[in-house]
Amino acid sequence: MKIFLLTALAAYIVAAIHSVLGFINQKRALERVAHLSLGFGFAAHTIALIMDWASGGYYPLFHFSETFSFLGWALVIAYAIFFRHYRAHALGGFTLPLVALLVLAANISQKEGDLRPHALMRGEATWLFPIHTTSLFFAYAAFVVVFIASIMYLLQERELKLKHFGIAFHRLPALATIDEISAVAASIGFAFLTLGIIAGMSWSFARDGRVWRNDPKEVLAATTWLLYLALLSQRHLAGWRGRRAAWVGVAGFALVLCTFFGARLMGGYHVF
Amino acid sequence: MSIVLVGLNHRTAPVEVRERLAFSEEACAESLRKLVDGDAIREGMIFSTCNRVEILTATEGRQVSDTAARISDFLSETRQVPQDLLHRHLYVHSDEQAVRHVFRVAASLDSMVVGEPQILGQVRRAYALAVETGTVGRVLHRLLHHAFRTAKRVRTETGIGAAAVSVSYTAVELGRKIFGSLDGRTVLLIGAGEMAELALKYLVKAGASRILVTNRTDAKAEELATRFGGEAVDYARLVENLAQADIIICSTGADRYVITSEMARQALVARRHQPAFFIDISVPRNVDPKVGELDNLFVFDIDDLEAVIESNIREREREAQRAELIVDAEVMRFQQQLRNMDFGPIVSALKQKLIEIARHEYARQRPRLGHLTPEQERAIETMLMATVNKISHPIIHRLRRSYEAGNIDNVQAWRDIFELDSGLGKEFDD
Repeated sequence: MKIFLLTALAAYIVAAIHSVLGFINQKRALERVAHLSLGFGFAAHTIALIMDWASGGYYPLFHFSETFSFLGWALVIAYAIFFRHYRAHALGGFTLPLVALLVLAANISQKEGDLRPHALMRGEATWLFPIHTTSLFFAYAAFVVVFIASIMYLLQERELKLKHFGIAFHRLPALATIDEISAVAASIGFAFLTLGIIAGMSWSFARDGRVWRNDPKEVLAATTWLLYLALLSQRHLAGWRGRRAAWVGVAGFALVLCTFFGARLMGGYHVF
Repeated sequence: MSIVLVGLNHRTAPVEVRERLAFSEEACAESLRKLVDGDAIREGMIFSTCNRVEILTATEGRQVSDTAARISDFLSETRQVPQDLLHRHLYVHSDEQAVRHVFRVAASLDSMVVGEPQILGQVRRAYALAVETGTVGRVLHRLLHHAFRTAKRVRTETGIGAAAVSVSYTAVELGRKIFGSLDGRTVLLIGAGEMAELALKYLVKAGASRILVTNRTDAKAEELATRFGGEAVDYARLVENLAQADIIICSTGADRYVITSEMARQALVARRHQPAFFIDISVPRNVDPKVGELDNLFVFDIDDLEAVIESNIREREREAQRAELIVDAEVMRFQQQLRNMDFGPIVSALKQKLIEIARHEYARQRPRLGHLTPEQERAIETMLMATVNKISHPIIHRLRRSYEAGNIDNVQAWRDIFELDSGLGKEFDD
């Protein structure tokens, strides 16, 4: 229902503004307002998603608008988890504007007419579809956190190396904390990515016996998977951390964006 | 009643003058006893640090300028400083201005390094000394306690003391920015020196738990290790020791790089690229600046630390503007409370009230008394006044006790009984 999504958008915008101001002015009171508003928005958002699912009769992850909305929702969960665990106050100032933007995009983008979800949902093992998409979107949300943490790391590291302390230094968390957030988020994202890919392959196999189709999206997803695999294994084995890991986090996010948008533009078997 | 403060500080007087005026603790107590005579100067306190000498008094029934002149005479006599020299540097604040000054000093807004935390402790000590000497009464008690509260508010509500402005604390702050928490970190001290040892102490206080000490002479290393509860390690195996340390404090007299880029690279590989923080407080530098170009290694030499301090001071000055608003609000609150607790006006208001009642009743009955001789008139007047005094005396006695105990509720109760509040404000303003 449109009204709930609009309510969520309004609440997210309030949350985003307060958390950005809270970040700049370092006021905890603003952050509390942001979190209250965020919680309210999240409740409205959840209702909107459930109602969409119920009224549309299909799992609501087909259209661009639905994917934006779902990604925003997953990002709120990711933010809540990482904030609770690390108390990294700066995280909100970066994440919540993104959430607001995603939900804004969900509100204004039209549903593409040429997609027929019901037709796609015929055939074998359709129960794998929600697992496939949900896992991938949680993976994307985790990678967004990796990206944000990487940017924060690079900003903070730059200030420390150049010994020039501007706006970032007093406000961003410690390097070790940011690095850990990025590592944990990458592990979580990688686990969901793996699960999503396996679910997709199984679904495809159940429908027509093929696991791999050389679809652009599949190729990009596999590349992304390998990149994060490399990042995580190098972290454990070779002590890759800090700046290098942060750059890989940024590169990984670029690949995720390509996978998300690019594949649709290039066409292929995947609808999104 | 007024509050008068006379003094000088680092802005108004050079150190040569300040040191001539400075009071030792014993001199403080003795001078206070001389200054506070219980007549005009009711209460007093001397605040003397290396940056300021100030005498704070609460006076009764005297002009501010008289009191100020008396205090400056007193300073000139006891410290043997000629009057004309003194006058060039002294400032005088009274009442609201004096209150604001005391609050600003306690909140470290008047300090040379704005926001430095020692000042509050120094004010507390001066207050305790004056209390011990017995020269603090209800006005200064209240003033100082309010100043402590204001200082606390400023500290918690602004970031005035947040940014580090000393080399050793800057080292801790930077360490926290790199490692998050310093708990359980290993510190390696190469060389010795006052600043290096101070930095080490701060790092340990912040949580660093393992201390390695190395020195070109083993005996010196052993000595420092015992002093700080660390272990002395072999100077020849520097790379190995570097690999173990998260924070390296380097302070040797060597005129070349003690830690080269190559050594740092080897140590970095050995510690699997875990970040390390080099604090190089030696001049000439002991850590090759190229070390800082390696990933995950952060090098700060003494100039870098000074630059950080410089920027932190500017940050503090911005926060100080917010602190001034808090001080303004607290000064207003204190002035209000002071008005409420001023003893003189309430006593005269009470007497006035009783005299009015007596006169009024006398005037009503006067026509019935017929002709009276002036002697008789005076006798009746004396009788009325004696009655008023006898009635008010125990009340005033109780009031005074309540004031001295700071029991404002009790005082308020007396006021309510005699409905004194209406006339009070006016009288105080006069």
